[in-house]
Parts: sequence; C-alpha cells; structure tokens
Amino acid sequence: MSADTPPPALAVWLLARILPEEFREACLGDIEERFRCDILPARGPAAARRWYWRELFRAPFALVRAPRQRPRSAGDSSVSLLVADLRFASRTLRRRPSFTLLMVLILGLGIGATTAIFSAVFPILFASLPYPDADRITMIWEGNKDGGRDNLGFTTWRELTDGSRAFAATAAIGGFSGTMTGRNEPEQLVGQKVSEGFFRVLGVSPAIGRAFNAAEDRPGAARVVILSNALWRRRFGGDSAIVGRDITIDGNSFAVIGIMPAGFVNVLNPVAQLYTPLRYDITLPYACRGCHHLRGVARLRAGVSVSTAARELDGIYATMRRDHPADYAGVTLFPVRLQDDITRAVRPALLAVLAAAGLVLLIACANVTNLLLGRAAQRRGEFALRAALGASRGRVMRQLLTESLLISGLGGALGVALAVVGVRGLVALSPAMMPRVDAIAVNTSVLAFAVAVTLAVGVIFGLVPAWHATRRDLHDGMRAGSRRTAGGSAMTRGILVVSEVALALLLLVGSGLLLRSMRQVLDVDPGFDSAHLLTVQIQSGGPRMPSDSATWRFFDQVLTSVRALPGVTAAAFTSQLPLSNDFDGYGIHSEKHPNPNPSADPSAFRYGVSAGYLETMRIPLLRGRTLEPRDGIGQPEVVVINQAFAKRVFPGEDALGQRVRVGDPAAGPWRTIVGIVGDVKQVSLAAEQSDALYQPEVQSPYGADGAMTLVVRGTGDVSALLPSIRQAVADIDRDQPLIRVATMASLLHASEAQRRFAMVLFEGFALVALILAAAGIYGVLSGMVTERIREIGVRTALGASRRDILSLIVGAGMRLTGIGLVVGLLASLLLSRTIASMLFGITATDLPTYFGVALLLLAVAVAACWLPARRAARIDPVTTLRAD
Amino acid sequence: MAAHLGEFEQLVLLALIQLGDEGYGISVRDEIHRRTGRDPAFATVYTTLTRLADKGLITSRLGEPTAERGGRRKKYYAILPAGRRAIQASLHALRGMSHGLDTSWGTP
Repeated sequence: MSADTPPPALAVWLLARILPEEFREACLGDIEERFRCDILPARGPAAARRWYWRELFRAPFALVRAPRQRPRSAGDSSVSLLVADLRFASRTLRRRPSFTLLMVLILGLGIGATTAIFSAVFPILFASLPYPDADRITMIWEGNKDGGRDNLGFTTWRELTDGSRAFAATAAIGGFSGTMTGRNEPEQLVGQKVSEGFFRVLGVSPAIGRAFNAAEDRPGAARVVILSNALWRRRFGGDSAIVGRDITIDGNSFAVIGIMPAGFVNVLNPVAQLYTPLRYDITLPYACRGCHHLRGVARLRAGVSVSTAARELDGIYATMRRDHPADYAGVTLFPVRLQDDITRAVRPALLAVLAAAGLVLLIACANVTNLLLGRAAQRRGEFALRAALGASRGRVMRQLLTESLLISGLGGALGVALAVVGVRGLVALSPAMMPRVDAIAVNTSVLAFAVAVTLAVGVIFGLVPAWHATRRDLHDGMRAGSRRTAGGSAMTRGILVVSEVALALLLLVGSGLLLRSMRQVLDVDPGFDSAHLLTVQIQSGGPRMPSDSATWRFFDQVLTSVRALPGVTAAAFTSQLPLSNDFDGYGIHSEKHPNPNPSADPSAFRYGVSAGYLETMRIPLLRGRTLEPRDGIGQPEVVVINQAFAKRVFPGEDALGQRVRVGDPAAGPWRTIVGIVGDVKQVSLAAEQSDALYQPEVQSPYGADGAMTLVVRGTGDVSALLPSIRQAVADIDRDQPLIRVATMASLLHASEAQRRFAMVLFEGFALVALILAAAGIYGVLSGMVTERIREIGVRTALGASRRDILSLIVGAGMRLTGIGLVVGLLASLLLSRTIASMLFGITATDLPTYFGVALLLLAVAVAACWLPARRAARIDPVTTLRAD
Repeated sequence: MAAHLGEFEQLVLLALIQLGDEGYGISVRDEIHRRTGRDPAFATVYTTLTRLADKGLITSRLGEPTAERGGRRKKYYAILPAGRRAIQASLHALRGMSHGLDTSWGTP
C-alpha cells in the first residue's frame, strides 16, 4: 500500500521551481528514487513525506552556499537568478555592517511602530465583532435636544419593539451587581440584567444549558441566572453539574440555567460575569417612559438596512411624542451599528495615532532612501564596471532592488519583533474604556499587513536609488571614477530631507498640541482637594441587611470605626464619587418654577452623602450651611446644591430656602436648599461643568443604596490605611466586600487615560521623527562634504576662511530645513484639526505650540549641520589636492 | 596547471573514482556519506557535479527513464583525465603540506 504513496506534490512542484534546469530532472529523479526505494519502505509514508520536505528546504541553502562560477545562460530559471542576486546582495550588505545595521534599525522602528498600532486599531475599528452577521446588530438610543443620547425607558423600548418590523430581535439591558455568598468567601459580581431576546440579538447561545424564556422575564418570576465561562471555571471548577443548582446572590436564590461558551465576548460589558432576566413589565414605577436607564440593542432582519430601521423608528417615535408629549423631551429615536457605537469614543484617538505611526514610517523610508542614494553615488564606479562587463541597466536595477528588498525584509522582521513587544506595552497603556482590548494581538492579518508594508517599502525606497544609479549612461561613471561631483541625485536627496523635516514637524506639532492640552487639563481644578484621599467602595447586602435602616446602621458603624483609626483625619460616605465613572443623574424640579413638561427640567448629579462629606472632600461652602448629623430620618428634608446649578435654575434669585423635588416631579417631599457649594468635576476634568445636588443619604427618595464609597482623608501615604480599614469593616460584618479601592490622585490620573494614551504615543513617535530627521540632515550634509571635498579644498586654498566654509555647509543645511519647516507648518495648519477633538483649552492652531516645535526642530537641525560643517572647515587643502 | 579544487569538489571526485569512475547523484551522495559521515543535500551534490563538469573535469551522459524515478532519466557522471590530474594535484599538495608533522597528527 505504501508503495503507491507518491512524494508530496506541492514539495515536488516547489523543488522543480528552485532547481536549475541543467540538473533539475536528474536531481528530482534521484530524490524520488531515494524516496520510493529506501525511505518509504523503511520509515513509512508520514516520515517519508517529511524527509522529502526536508530535502526541499535544504535545496536553496545548497544553491546559495555552493556558487557556480560560470556565465549565466538563458536557460537559468528566474529563481536561481534571484538566489544569485540575493547572495550578491547579502555579500554587499555584509561588507558595510554598520551601514546595513543602521538602515535595518531605522526601518525596523518604522515598520514596528506602524504594525503595533495597526494591530491595536484593526480589531477595534475594522475587524467585525465576534457574532454571526455582526453588522446587523445595532444599539437604539433616544436623542435629546442637546445632541446627546439617552438610554431608554422600559415602556419606550416595549412600544418600539411591538411597533417595529425592521428588527428580528430586540433586547433591553440594565446593569446588575450583587454579592455571591456560600461556598467560598463573599464576592462582588457584576453582570447584566437582560430582557429575554438578548442572546438572540447577539446570535450566541449558552454552551451548556439554555437561554432565558419569556416566562422567566416577568416581575415575580423565579430567579434564574446564566454564568460567564470564566466565572463558571473560577468559582465552580468548570463542573457542568452546577446547571440546575441554586446559587445565592444578595441573599436571594438563583437557579443556574446556562453557561456561556468560552469564546463568548460581550462587547456591551466585557467584564460581565453573569446574566439574569430583566423581569420588568410596563406597570412597574421604574418602567416609565422618562426612566432612562436601559440600553436598547437589536438585530436587524436580513436585508434591512440601518437607514430603513431609522426611518421606521422616526415614525414610531412621532406617534409616542404625539400620545405622550409630557414624557418625551427628546427629539428622536435612532439606531447605530454596534461596532460604530462601541468604538465611537476612541475612534479619533486611534486614527490619529495610526496616522502618526504612518508618518514615522514615511520618515524612516525617506531616511533609508537617502542613505541608499548616498551609497549609490559612491558605487557609481562599481555599476559602471558591471555595465562594461555586459550587465544591462535592468540587471543593475534588479540587483539594487534585491538589496533594498533584503534590507526591508530584515527591517520588517525586526519590526514584527518590535511590534510583538510594543503591543504588550500598548495594551498596558490603553485606557480602561478602550473596547475590545482582548482582541489586540499580532495575528495573521497583522502579519499580512507587516509583510505588505515591508514589500511596499522595499520596492519604493529601492526604486528611487536604482533609477538614479542607472539613469545616466553607466559608462560615464567609469570615466569619473568614484568622483566627487554631487550628481543629479543631490536634488532628490534635498527633496527627501525637506519632506523629512516637514513630516517631523507635523508630528511635533501634534504631540506639542496634545502635551499642552494635557497640561491645561491637569491644571483644571477638580473642585475638591484630591491629595491624601483614599476611596473604597463598600458593597452591603445579604441576609444581614434586611432593611434600609440595617444598611444605614452598617455604614454608620463603619464610619465611626474608620474615623477612630490612627492616621485618619476625616471620613465620609457618598453614593457616587467624582471621576470614577459613577453616573447617577436625576431630574430636579423647582417648586417655584413648575415646568409644564417636567421631563425637560434640568437634571443634576445626585450625591447621597453622610454628614461630613463636603468637609472631607474640601468642597468649598459658598453660602448657607453644609449637611450635618442633625439632618437625619424624620427631620426636615434638606439639600445642598452647587453654584452652577443655583445659577441655572434660579438666575437672579436667591437659591437658599427654595424647595425642589428630586426624581419624581409629582410625589415626595419638597426639599429645602440650605447651602450652596463650589462646582466639582464629575465626569472628567475636561468635561463641561455639571449640576450637582447633595442630600443626606438617609433622606434618599429611593431608600438605601447598597454600594457606597468611603472617602478617607489622612496624612502621608493614604493607601497604607487600607489594611486597617479592611479590618474595621470585617469586624463589623465580614460578609461585606470592599471593591474598587483607589486613591483620588490615581482616579484623577485615570480619568485622562485616553488623552494620555494618544499623547504618550505621539510623543514617542515625534521623538523618533526628530532623531530620524536630524540623521537625515546629517547624512546629506556629510555626503555633500565628502563629495565636494576637492571643491572645498580649492576654496580654502584660494583664501576662503574657516568661517566661509562653515557658513557654506550650515547654510546648505539650513536652506533645506527652512523649506521643510515652511511646508511642515502649512501641512500642520491643514491637518491639526483632525486631532481637535482631543485638544483641551487650546485650538488646533495654537501659535505658541507651532513656534515652540519649529524652534526645537531648528535647534536640532543646526546641531545636525554643525558636525559635517566642522569637518569641512578642517579640510587641509594640501592633502585633498595632492590626492588627485 | 590543474584547476584548483574546493574541499567538497575533492570529495565528489574521489567518490566517483571509488565508484569505478562512474556514478550518479544517489551513489555519489551515499559514497560520501559512507566514508565521511556527512549528509549532503542532493542539490549540493548536483551543484558540485555541475561545476566540475563546467570545469571540464568530469563528463555526463543520460540514462533511461524508470518508474520509481517518476519517469525521469538518470544522469551518470564519469571522471575525465583532467579530473584525475586535478585530484592527484590536490592530494599531492595535501601530502606535501602535512609531511613531517608529528606522528600523533597522522598523515593522509
């Protein structure tokens, strides 16, 4: 049976392409004979095929290592010509190792930077999401009249689902968090509450068990849960017997009905560990049209476009607004493709960074082209010799191209290695909000990109010098020897230096603008004192917290213990913390200025706080009083508002003593404003000021909040207080986990992560660009001095002073730099608006930045000119002239 | 003056002599393997055979195609008088260079 096994056809085919025609048949025949008569019977088909492949892979080395020194004939296969070219190119490059290394390094940097950034950008912006027919998945938002977007109320979602024909499935999503107890130590888990269609929208089903059914998605239905694969493996050891059993979350029993597949990625909430049904219906108070707290997601029917769906939603929304004018202050209901939606925030930064990496690659190419041009000028004699020996122009060009491809190939290999390292750095540096970080890797598409870039680069920077070297009659070169005239390539080299300077300036302007924005942002006063402040979120829940008063008592006890700890100067609780992604806004309704459409009333961030919060954060009190321990349960309801809110709602009036309702405009007590405090940045340092309302947590209209953030002000290093705080909480109730521990300073830092991400990359690229541009200027001037050494010698002999020679060379360099600066400034003015969305406090045409970076570049250029100029000035005319 | 021979060229010429002045790729490769332990690729053997033929040291003729060779013909190589002279010159040079070395070095 094995006697019939033929050698692997692909290997035979490849071998036939590699072997020269003159012994192709004999060699193939020998290998096949050995394969059939000896290897196959002795070792079996699999090993024999491996043997054949090994013989194939050894062939090119054999041909390269054993050069045949005889004239080429027309019968040579093109592959063996290529082998000869490669052999020659590698010898040429090995003869000048430092020159070769320099070019490989430059290209490696350029290709590495571009590849690393591409590997980050590709999965986020271009690769399709990991769901079947992912472009049919859309988010649905309510657009408000400020141009912003709101979540949906449940009733709105229900009606659009019932009224729409464009969608195959829709789902409403809310957040879920709870503490799992039993078995191991208590653990805070986050997940999503989803309506029953959620998994149909994504097109993914649980790997074990089943998805939710409609009966489980109703108020009062038995509680069920689907676990993420990671949680299932970590907490339940990957035991599929857990399906059908109960787990305990916040003291409630949930039946586990399914486990998601291991490869499932939830781009809507990448950290979700579990899913439970939403269990809403339209009778619930928090299902109202104005209760914007659910995200809508839907799957389009096959063949229905997003714009068709948008038109349909317009019609549905018009009907809703006509029937319920008081509930809809918004203007539209609109779908957005899921991929566009999740990448919306990071798209400008990523595209800008990709463009910056591309600029670095361009500069690297210009640089290497320049180096090769310089070399080609020196090698004119060699080319002339080869031409004299019968090499055609095409043959010489082909040889030069092989050299440049070999260099770019080496550079590409280095680049991919740098990219593998760089990608790890990128992931570490990426802002927490960056979607799909898990998908960033150097994979096949990234490698294909790197190979394409490498080939393109090799051909482009190889063609220019090759064309130059062979443009004129090659025999001219013989007569001139390797002579000192700059030749026609001087113009090209000048243009290349000008473009390098211009491109470097473009990058410098970009990074300068981002750097200044960062300065401006960090100079923004957050409205509180962020130094020496530790924040710890504490989750309360479980059977020991049966009532609001039990929860409040727990937090109160924690506060008393923590305040007594050594090193603590002040401590307080708040329901939401500035700059921590907490986002809890409520409509605020004035008693004196009732609005016919209450949903159009301004909304404000609501902080449910303990007494002492404003003092602990050092938020300045402007008028009235702060919240005090006496503002307790059963006492008059009071609130404190910030200055911005006071000006907005009570312009020209005294806000103190006015009364407002929080949330529901029609019910609940009127709450008296007793104080006005300074403004605090809630969302980010760069975001416009938001309105804020502080109220005693125990007077909250919504009962006790299960998760409160403890803010602790201390002296010295506040993170050292954590163990004693942890102990203090455990002493009161060991089932309540501490989550999200951070110093306020680190939260401040993290809130600008996206800006910092772009800034750090831009700065890195700009630095590389500056070095490459300086190297380019240096290389060209240095070459110029070498080529004009005789002319300079003559000038000196005829009485030119050292100073004249210096200004001759520096002047030549400065002319190129000057033109580059002008071109770069114009290009920057045109292109800098592409990063305008990442700037803060300055415009894209910020003059100080432009002047600053232009000066920096000029200074570096002068330094790069100085060294060759000094060398020229030291030329001894006697020596140079005697050399002739 | 006889052509200068590279080291692998010497091995190939000596293999042809050992094989009775005629051999083909497999027999040359196996002879070198048997006597030196080296495992050259077929392409290496043929590159060298071709070069020796270019230098006029050996000649070749084509055999008949056979089934086990996938219908391809064998190429037999035979040593020429110039090849004999060249290998003799190489061996002579080696002997001359090693003559008088300490016996622990051995002589070729």
